[in-house]
Amino acid sequence: MAPVRQSISRRILAVKLATTLVAVLLAIAAMVAYDLRLYHQSWINDLSTQAELLGQMTAPALAFDDARVAKENLALLRYRPSIHAAAIYDARGRLFATFAHDGEGEFPRLPEGDGVRVGGGALVVFKRIINDREILGTVYLRAEYQLFERLLGYLGIAAIVTALAMAVAALFSRWVHRVLVRPVLAITELATQVSEQRDYSLRAEKLTNDEIGLLADSFNGMLAEMERATRELQASNREAAHELAERRRAEQEILRLNAELETRVRERTTELQATNAELEAFCYSVSHDLRAPLRSIDGFGQALLEDFPRDVPEEAKRYLARIRASTQRMGQLIEDLLNLSKVSRGELLRREVDVSELARQVVADLQGREADRKVEVSVWDGMHAYADARLLRAALENLIGNAWKFSARAEQPKIEIGFMRDGEGGTFFVRDNGAGFDMRYAAKLFGAFQRLHSAAEYQGTGIGLATVQRIVHRHGGRIWADAKPGKGAVFFFTLATRSDAAGAAAKEVAA
Amino acid sequence: MVALMRCLALALALPLAALAQGESRPSEAEIKAAFLYKFGDFVQWPPASLGRAEAPFAIGVMGAEDVAAALEQLVANRTVQGRPVVVRRVRAGESLARLHVLFIGQADAPRLAETLASARGQPLLTVTDSDNAISQGSMINFVAEDQRVRFDIAPASAERGQLKISSRLLAVARRVITS
Repeated sequence: MAPVRQSISRRILAVKLATTLVAVLLAIAAMVAYDLRLYHQSWINDLSTQAELLGQMTAPALAFDDARVAKENLALLRYRPSIHAAAIYDARGRLFATFAHDGEGEFPRLPEGDGVRVGGGALVVFKRIINDREILGTVYLRAEYQLFERLLGYLGIAAIVTALAMAVAALFSRWVHRVLVRPVLAITELATQVSEQRDYSLRAEKLTNDEIGLLADSFNGMLAEMERATRELQASNREAAHELAERRRAEQEILRLNAELETRVRERTTELQATNAELEAFCYSVSHDLRAPLRSIDGFGQALLEDFPRDVPEEAKRYLARIRASTQRMGQLIEDLLNLSKVSRGELLRREVDVSELARQVVADLQGREADRKVEVSVWDGMHAYADARLLRAALENLIGNAWKFSARAEQPKIEIGFMRDGEGGTFFVRDNGAGFDMRYAAKLFGAFQRLHSAAEYQGTGIGLATVQRIVHRHGGRIWADAKPGKGAVFFFTLATRSDAAGAAAKEVAA
Repeated sequence: MVALMRCLALALALPLAALAQGESRPSEAEIKAAFLYKFGDFVQWPPASLGRAEAPFAIGVMGAEDVAAALEQLVANRTVQGRPVVVRRVRAGESLARLHVLFIGQADAPRLAETLASARGQPLLTVTDSDNAISQGSMINFVAEDQRVRFDIAPASAERGQLKISSRLLAVARRVITS
């Protein structure tokens, strides 16, 4: 708590003392002024009366020239010690009788007119003795005049009274401090304690039944309210913390599950990859190893026909021809399978590829093989991709080859190879107006050995689209198709057109 | 007439003489005249004897011409009891009526008792200038003391004449005779 620099009680004391001081001094000043004036007036009146009385008393003595009687009259003043000296002058202004307290006094040589004056610390009175309009003489009185002494005395009293008043004021202030300030200080201290300790269960003691008591009551009310609010806040805080912990736990659970899941996915993926690799290796070796006996079968079948043209009956020849056709078909199958497994194996060697040029070469190959077919092929100019040229060529060979093949029965076969820019990459398409297919079977389209048309209608091993899909996927692209039976088909696939986009896509595949 | 002239001359000469003498003491007659005049201020007469407000205050002088003369000069323009003062020379046997003060000088001392007897019981302040006058009924009697004029007072005699003598006057008397 910051120390109270100017305590209320001290201020009250100061005000009290100042007020008291002013009041006392004013009162004393007024009193003294009044008293001194009264003293002055009454003393003058007293002396004037005394002089008058003396005059009246000594009038016979003057009238009958009896100085002795006059002296006796004056001698009565011995009972008035404050009158120091007195004298009677006769009508002619000569000293007639005198009196002095200290024996010998000094008297003016000649009397003055009626009057009172202050001189030499004494009050001097001259009073004519008049009888029946005739001046008989003059009374002279010299008396003490203690205005200054009285003033000094009053100042002494004033000092004592002031000191007493100050003391009483100080006592009163102390009482004020006890009654007014101390309860306030107690509440202040309590407030400090509460704010320092955050202990809202403290309560102010109600010492008095006045406004300060009311203050204590309302302060306590405030404390109670704060205590209640704090309790509620703490409860809600606890609740919130509980909820937060719960949520954290749930999140951690989710994270743990995710991690577990990922681990499992990774494990499965690794397993799958291993299995795939094994399968591919097996497939390759099987295909490779299968070709040798097939060649042998085909070779010996051909030798049988060529070496024994006469010995083999016609029917046997037909059989042999069928054996050879089947053998060749099987050889083709094995070839395709090997291709498929090649597509899966080996490094991707990406570079900038002119897709338009590549597509034209494929189309030219096909036209070279079947020169009698009239197919309207349009290849868009300026198509580029960032891809492995060998694999992309294989994919285009399959897609364009399919288009070529399935448009064979169309009246005016048309093939279009085009491109749609799509952000960083592009979507290529190969469109034909051939046989098409039912979209219900679209899901089976890219599976190996899946065929939507009979081998009698269209030749094929059913591995081509699987190979294409594998190539597109290895490049991080997607492939899909749209078709209607008898209305042709469109195959779409996406490829990166720039190296950075390809890198991002490749990463996705790796993940 | 000649006497009157002489009186006038005297009356005029007196202040002149006083002036010439400066601070010299007044004569015995003058002092007595002054006393006679001043007694009037210290004695209370019954109202009836004073008469109307304008009625003069009469001082009778018997057997003392010098005093009468001094008194006449003194009381001119002066008042006693708020009234003008007149001085009357009185001879023995004359009526004392309407007098307020009567001075019997030494010249009339032989007939003092007779005069005092005639004044007895009257509201008349009797002032004498003789030994034993008090015992004969005088109210105030001049005496000489230390070459000064003093007087004795007999209040009882005054009371017989319904007069009240002020205690202030008694205070300056040489003696107050109470027998």
